Amino acid sequence: MTPAVGVSGRRGERLLALLVLPALVFVLAVFVVPVARFLSLAVDNAELGLGLSRTVAALDAEPPAEGEVPGEAAFAALVADLAAARTAQQDALIAQALNQRMVGTRFLVIKTARDAARGEFAAPFKPAVLAAHPDWADPEIWRTIAANGGRLTDYHLLAALDLRRDAAGDIAQAPPEATLFRQLLGRTVWISVVVTAACALLALPLASAITAAPPGWSRVLFALVLFPLWSSLLVRTVIWIIVLQRNGPVNAALVATGLTDAPMTLIYTRFSLYLAMIQVLLPLMVLSVVSVMRRVPPSYMKAALSLGAPWFTAWRTVQLPLILPGLMAGSAIVFVFAIGYYVTPLLVGGPGDQMISSMIAFYTNRTLNWGLAAALSVQVLALLAAMTLTGLALRALARRSVPA
Amino acid sequence: MMTTTPRLAALTAVLAALSVPAHAAEITVVGWGGTWDEAYKEGVWDVFEGETDHTIVMEEWAGELAKVRAQVQSGNITYDLVAAEAPSVEIGCAEGLFVPLSEEITGPADSYLPGTLHECGVASDTWATVLAYDKDAVGGTEPTSWADYFDVEAIPGKRGVLAQAQYTLENALMGDGVPADEVYEVLSTPEGVDRAFAKLDSIRDHIVWWNTTTQAVQNLSSGEVVMTDLYNARVTNEVQNEGKNWGIAWEAGFFYGTDMWAVVAGAPNEEAAIELVKWFSEPEHQAGFSRLYAYGTGRREAAEFVSAEQLEHLPSSPAHAPHGVEYDTDFWVENKEALEARFKAWLGQ
Repeated sequence: MTPAVGVSGRRGERLLALLVLPALVFVLAVFVVPVARFLSLAVDNAELGLGLSRTVAALDAEPPAEGEVPGEAAFAALVADLAAARTAQQDALIAQALNQRMVGTRFLVIKTARDAARGEFAAPFKPAVLAAHPDWADPEIWRTIAANGGRLTDYHLLAALDLRRDAAGDIAQAPPEATLFRQLLGRTVWISVVVTAACALLALPLASAITAAPPGWSRVLFALVLFPLWSSLLVRTVIWIIVLQRNGPVNAALVATGLTDAPMTLIYTRFSLYLAMIQVLLPLMVLSVVSVMRRVPPSYMKAALSLGAPWFTAWRTVQLPLILPGLMAGSAIVFVFAIGYYVTPLLVGGPGDQMISSMIAFYTNRTLNWGLAAALSVQVLALLAAMTLTGLALRALARRSVPA
Repeated sequence: MMTTTPRLAALTAVLAALSVPAHAAEITVVGWGGTWDEAYKEGVWDVFEGETDHTIVMEEWAGELAKVRAQVQSGNITYDLVAAEAPSVEIGCAEGLFVPLSEEITGPADSYLPGTLHECGVASDTWATVLAYDKDAVGGTEPTSWADYFDVEAIPGKRGVLAQAQYTLENALMGDGVPADEVYEVLSTPEGVDRAFAKLDSIRDHIVWWNTTTQAVQNLSSGEVVMTDLYNARVTNEVQNEGKNWGIAWEAGFFYGTDMWAVVAGAPNEEAAIELVKWFSEPEHQAGFSRLYAYGTGRREAAEFVSAEQLEHLPSSPAHAPHGVEYDTDFWVENKEALEARFKAWLGQ
């Protein structure tokens, strides 16, 4: 006789699928599809590839000599492209895309498109356009248009890594004063690692206390840990500004006790950022660790100690491996949350403490460069995917190396 | 059928009763929040609601044009009228996100101060970024120029600086001795940009960066900084309502910009919003805001409806105006991304 553990067989599978279906549809509809659509903007080149397709084709068919402005065909194609774009209200997007690749071309494109749509240019187009907008005589604009044709582009993905294509089309480093994103990514990962490690170190004794305390006390401690989770993130963050500012209580105490002569700069530093992030994320780590610790009988540690193991050895070889899954799960949650932090660094961090999400928000909200915002998001996603795979691989290796 | 039809008729009747008078609309107006919104409500929206059948629903944002673009692209528009910075109005207008406004709505174009009327926008307010300082904290030597601001030996203490390139590079060049009206000429060259960054470098360790206006006010209040760049009405507001002993060094030179009301194209209450803009374009109605908040208006005649005392606090007052230069919207529309990226890279060094 088989024990009745759940429903088995094909019917069971179907039932299971039915149970999961609503969640699956929900996740697909409100998460996977929109996110994928946004991420696809990282390689989308509709503005230049489609919007200027005739111009790109004309430049391909008849490439201008090095340092020369192209001939009549390219100008005629440009006028046709821009007039069509203006009618479809796409000219501003083309102008933005071209301006990203060559600063100072935005209004040139918009004004030319306006004139083109009004039919102000007549053949021959080259002298007509150059007379009205002499800036088109810069061969660099035409080189930029020719180099950025095609439906897809790697421009944003490269830019997100401080790379660009040089005049010859080869991948090259961005000039030093414009390198930003690799440093930003490194900083984001470093801050997240430090916060995760600090949360783990703080959570272990706290979780031990919660599990070991008598039920009444345990509940009180647990509530204290959870309490910050129930208050607004913004409030929890802004409170640090008041506590740590120059005339705040911490500085007052430091000066009064003679530990420092003058108030210290505590707020808007990496230190205050760590404090605020750890405070917000610690409950998540404690929750994960406590849930695992509660399942480890206290008798295991007692047994190890009574058999003569020093306390730390007993903890390291008996307790730690048993709570490791909880610690790993907690670390994963804290790390993933930390990577996406944006408001906290903005409010309590200094300018050298900003994380990658702040740039994603900047490009999304401020300059409407959704291509670069998407490329940066792809970067973060790729990073998390790589870390997950590494974690899985390490776990598989660890399992294999355990002697049978 | 017999039972549903009368119900439907009753429902229609109720709905009709609710929507009387026929053209009353709930206009969603999106402002900058905080004391700015409070002044707008008291000085303008409440008056409008009293004079018409429409009601105003206030929302706040931080000028993220992305929100308007996303609403228009998805066809799910909730904003009717937004207050946006001039560069955003320029971009949004070109993208077709905002409704073009005729002179019939805005009043004659030549009655507006320069830069306060756009194809798609009417000035909501003209603000200035000024050098503000705490008179008690500067120790008797009050700053009179941006050079003083960058001289941490003459006036010791930390400086508050907005953590972005726009507005900050202008101040840095003024601090390096460039007259306000030549700033953009210098900033348009690579050497000029280097020069601005070099100036900021010179007081790097004495800067407390701010991201939100509230932070800047808080830093000056708590003594974290002795002077800061700030929006002029925020300073006046703190002096008038919170009793702060703060000063503004108008003579140091300042830049002013204009935010504009723009109607979102295809908004649910587009017509009512245009009606609101038309009503607001009357000089007397524009003055309602300036009376309470020290920012300037679009139409010249609006000044007649503001008290002489309050006029003195505006960037456009005869005493201040000669020191002011308008922000170059076009320059920032084209250069914003490149310069902000460089600024962020510099900050992180």
